[in-house]
Amino acid sequence: MNSKIQKDINELVAEQVITEDTASKIVSYYRSKQHDSPNRLFTVFAVLGSTLVGLGMILILAHNWDDFSRTVKTIFAFVPLVIGQIVVGYSILKNKSATWKEASGVFLFFAVGASMALVSQIYNIPGDLSDYLLTWILLCLPLIYLLRSNALVLLQIIFITSYACSFGYFSGNRTPWLYLIVLASLLPHYYKLLKQKKSHNITSVLNWLLPLSIVIVTGAFVRGDGNFGFLIYVLLFGLLYNIGKIPFFNNQKLRRNGYLVLGSLGTIYMLMLTSFKWLWEDIYINRLNFNSQAFYIAVVLFCLTLVVVVYSYSKKWIRDFNLFQYAFLFFIGFFMISLVTMETSVVLINLLILTLGIMAVKIGADTFHFGVLNYGLLIVTILIACRFFDTNMSFVLRGLLFVGVGIGFFLTNYVMLKKQKTLKRKL
Amino acid sequence: MKTIHIFIIFIIVVLIQLFIPFQMIFNQETILEKGTVYKFKTQPVDPTDPFKGKYINLNYEINTYKTNDSLWQRNEVIYVYLVEDSLGFAKIDTINRALISNNSNDYIKAKVRWYSNYSNELSIELPFNRYYMEETKAYDAEVAVRNRQRDSLPNNTHALVYIKDGETVLNDVIIDNISIKDYVEKDDSE
Repeated sequence: MNSKIQKDINELVAEQVITEDTASKIVSYYRSKQHDSPNRLFTVFAVLGSTLVGLGMILILAHNWDDFSRTVKTIFAFVPLVIGQIVVGYSILKNKSATWKEASGVFLFFAVGASMALVSQIYNIPGDLSDYLLTWILLCLPLIYLLRSNALVLLQIIFITSYACSFGYFSGNRTPWLYLIVLASLLPHYYKLLKQKKSHNITSVLNWLLPLSIVIVTGAFVRGDGNFGFLIYVLLFGLLYNIGKIPFFNNQKLRRNGYLVLGSLGTIYMLMLTSFKWLWEDIYINRLNFNSQAFYIAVVLFCLTLVVVVYSYSKKWIRDFNLFQYAFLFFIGFFMISLVTMETSVVLINLLILTLGIMAVKIGADTFHFGVLNYGLLIVTILIACRFFDTNMSFVLRGLLFVGVGIGFFLTNYVMLKKQKTLKRKL
Repeated sequence: MKTIHIFIIFIIVVLIQLFIPFQMIFNQETILEKGTVYKFKTQPVDPTDPFKGKYINLNYEINTYKTNDSLWQRNEVIYVYLVEDSLGFAKIDTINRALISNNSNDYIKAKVRWYSNYSNELSIELPFNRYYMEETKAYDAEVAVRNRQRDSLPNNTHALVYIKDGETVLNDVIIDNISIKDYVEKDDSE
C-alpha cells in the first residue's frame, strides 16, 4: 500500500478523526485492491521482454547467414515458430496466468513474422511490405481471442496501421479495405475491455490508439477526389468528438478519453487549415467530383456522426449546447457555400473558429478547468497568428490584437483563480 | 468456451501458421527442381528491408520493351515470353496481357511500371529483383560490380533464374562465372 496513505491513516487515528476499527477496514480495502498489481507489473515486463526477444530474433535472422546451407537456414526459420507455438499451446492447455499467455503470445507473434521473413530471404521472394504485413497479421489474429491477450491487440493495431499506410500511401495508392475488416475483428475484444475493465490502463491506451490509427489511415480512403479530404477529416473528428462526449467516456478523466481530445484538436486543426483562402482557391479550380469514392466515404461518415448525435439526444445525454459537437454540420454548410462564393465561406470559417475559442473559454470558466480555458484562448491566438499571414491588416491593428489577447490570457486566468479561491473559502 | 476447444482451435491456427511458410518453400523448391534456368543480364545496388535484412536490388537490361500499344495501366499483370539470344542470355520474345495459347516459350508473370509515349517503351517490373545477401556483403557486391564495369570488359553480371509456369525463383547472381557471394570474398582478399 502507498506509504502516504498509511501515514495519513495513522495521523487520522492519532487525531481521533477515525476509529482504529475504521482504519483497519481502510487498510484491508487498499490491500485487497492492490492484490493483483505486482502481478500486472510482471505481465508488463514479460510482454516487454518477449517483444525485445522477438525483435532481436528478427534482426539476427536478417543478417542473412551465408555460411549456412539452404536446409540449415530453413530449419532456423521454423525453430522460433515451433518454440513459440509449443509455449502458447502449453499455456492454453494448462490454463496458465495472464502473464504467461501475454508473453508467449507476443513471442509467437514475432516468431511468425521472423519465419516468413527468413523464407522470403532464402528464396529471394521480393513481395510487397504490405503483403507481408497482411499475411503476418492475419496469421496471428485468432491468437487475440484464444489467449485473451491485450498486448496482441496493441501489436495488431500498430501493424494493421502500418499495413494500411504501406498499402494506401507508399506503394501503389490503393484503398486498404482489409484494414476495416481486421479493425472490426478487434472490436469485440475492445468492447469487452470497455465493459469489464473500464478504468484499466490498457483500456485507456486503446481509447487513444484506436482513434489515432483511424485518423492516420482515413487519408488512404480518399480516392477519386482529394478535395473531399478536408470534409472527410472534419467529419471524422466530429464523429470522434461526439463519441468522446458519450457519458461513458465523458465521465472519465480527460487523459483517458482519446476520442474527445483527438476530436477537439483535430477539428480545430482542420478548421485552421481551411481558414486560409489559397486552399479554397485550389478546390475552386478543380471542380468537385460527386461520383467518387471520397464523396461516398464522406456521406458514410456524415451518417455515422449524425447517428451518434441523434442517439445522444434521444438518450438525453446532450443537455447544454456545445458548439464543438456541431462544428462538422457548420463546416458542411460552409463547404457548400464555397461552391458559390469562396470568400463568404472563408469568413464564416474564421467566425466559427473564433466562436469555438470563446466557447472553450466559457466551458473552462464554468467548470473551473484551467486547461480548457487556456485551450480556448490558444485557439483565438492561433487564429490571429494565422491571419497574420494572409490579410492586409495594418501592423498597428495586428499588434493591438495580440496585446489584447495577451491581456485576455492574464485577466481570465486571474479572475478564475480568484473566483475559485473565494468559492473554496465559502466551503 | 472449454480449454480443450480453445486448444483445438489453436492447433488449427498452428497448422495454418506452419502451412504458409511451408507452402512458400514448397512452391520455390518445385520451381528450382522442375523449372528452366535463364540468365538475365543485370546490375546490382543495395537497399535494406526492415524485417528481412540487406539485399541487392537488381536492374535488368531487359526491363523495357518497345511496343506501339500505349494503353498499359500501372501495376497491370502482364505475361513476358522469353527466348535465349546467341550468347545464352534471356531476351523478351513478346509481352501480352493474357496467356498466349500457341506460344510454347517460357513466360514470367510481371507487372507494368509505366509506358513512355516519348520512346514508345513499356517499362516492366520483373518479380525477381531482390537478392538477399549477408549484411556485410551487400554493399561490397555493389562496389565490386561497379569496379568490374570500369575494367571496360563486357558486362557479364547476370542472374540465374528458374522459371516454371510463370513463377520464378532467383537462385544466384553470377559475376565472371562465380557466385557474387564468393566474388565479394575474392575481391576483399585481393
